[in-house]
Amino acid sequence: MNMKPTLIAAAISLLAFNAHSAGPEFHHQPHAAGIETYGYTWNSPDQDMNRALAYKASAQRGKSAYKICKGCHKADGSGQASADYPQLAGQHATVIIKEMMDIRAGRRDNPRMYPFAGEWIVSAEEIADIAVYLNHLPVNDSNDKGNGKNLALGKSLYDKDCASCHGGNGEGDARKFYPRVAGQHYEYLLRETHESRDQGRRNANPEMVKVLKSYGDADIEAVSDYMSRLLPAKK
Amino acid sequence: MTYPTAKFLAAVALLGGGLSLVSAALAESPAATAAANVCAGCHGADGNSVATTFPKLAGQQNKYLLRELMDYKSGKRVSEIMAPLVADLSESDLAELAAYYAKQKPAPGVAGASALMKAGKNLYLKGNSKTDVPSCDGCHEENGNGDGKFPRVAGQHVDYVLDQFRLYAAGKRTNGARVMQAVAERMSEQEARAVAEYMASMP
Repeated sequence: MNMKPTLIAAAISLLAFNAHSAGPEFHHQPHAAGIETYGYTWNSPDQDMNRALAYKASAQRGKSAYKICKGCHKADGSGQASADYPQLAGQHATVIIKEMMDIRAGRRDNPRMYPFAGEWIVSAEEIADIAVYLNHLPVNDSNDKGNGKNLALGKSLYDKDCASCHGGNGEGDARKFYPRVAGQHYEYLLRETHESRDQGRRNANPEMVKVLKSYGDADIEAVSDYMSRLLPAKK
Repeated sequence: MTYPTAKFLAAVALLGGGLSLVSAALAESPAATAAANVCAGCHGADGNSVATTFPKLAGQQNKYLLRELMDYKSGKRVSEIMAPLVADLSESDLAELAAYYAKQKPAPGVAGASALMKAGKNLYLKGNSKTDVPSCDGCHEENGNGDGKFPRVAGQHVDYVLDQFRLYAAGKRTNGARVMQAVAERMSEQEARAVAEYMASMP
């Protein structure tokens, strides 16, 4: 066998390390093909996702499984007023399942969350339980909002480009995996919309990315502000 | 036959605990004898250990205790001290032990005069969003009592907790769901100390 000395050294050090532990590599997020890849299909069938979607989920079990998430996304699912912790309360269960599976598979890059989202932490069935639980939580309307200066522009852009999928009131569409955007934190909407336009959010819907291509930063700020202020539809 | 390490024996001798492996081997209820003669040496008869590097077990979550004991036995949780002590105990012995300590009354936490207490409380309840450290109360509950597989942390010794943070951060404690590994990696030494001081103070 013709192994280079460095490779042998690496192999030995790996063995030595594994003698003590399973190693930290378990929480390095994998990388899967996304929108940057030719032929990428949005929301293509995923075994893990189908298992979660087919599962008869229970909000009661979800409440208990949600504990792991609570430390960041908060007990009421309202997240935090920053780009990092979206409000999950009231989100469609299908959307939560899809996004979780995209993070698990590496179609949506989130190395900070990945260590809490792996299959060794939550099973596909538990994700389904959590998703149903979160969907039943009331949307917290004291979410982070923009400066309110360009809401007219935000509304016109939203009605023209976004409402057909995300709904006139930002309610999204559970059946089509389109997220509810109403009441989401402004900073989060801002970052995700930027990332979607610039192909940093690799699981974004190509149709949406096409629309966003013509958006300047001011447009994104205005439409994010508008979405953050859409009143959640009362259940 | 495995023997307890010298370190362990020294610790027991220091505490003046009565260690009798002979009676453990002869007893009809291995768990009861182990609790009285073996565990008590380090963890205290009622699970309220005095030595700060040995965790308090009194009032600890039953499910968590059993998992840890089983993991010591299988080697998933590595401890030179614990491994030989649980080697000859069966799962039902360990379950009996876990249930015994879970039922004991925990001694109340001691409020230290630490200047880090406020920072510790803040981290415990809010986390650190700049470094993506989740708050502790999500899993360990606001009162630190834990829940099921999530251990009680209230009143735990600062030294023990700090040891665990270091083991997690170094990738040397990998049993359980490994959530704490990711958390500990993101915490500074100062944050770990602050939150440990706060947990130790919880009643």
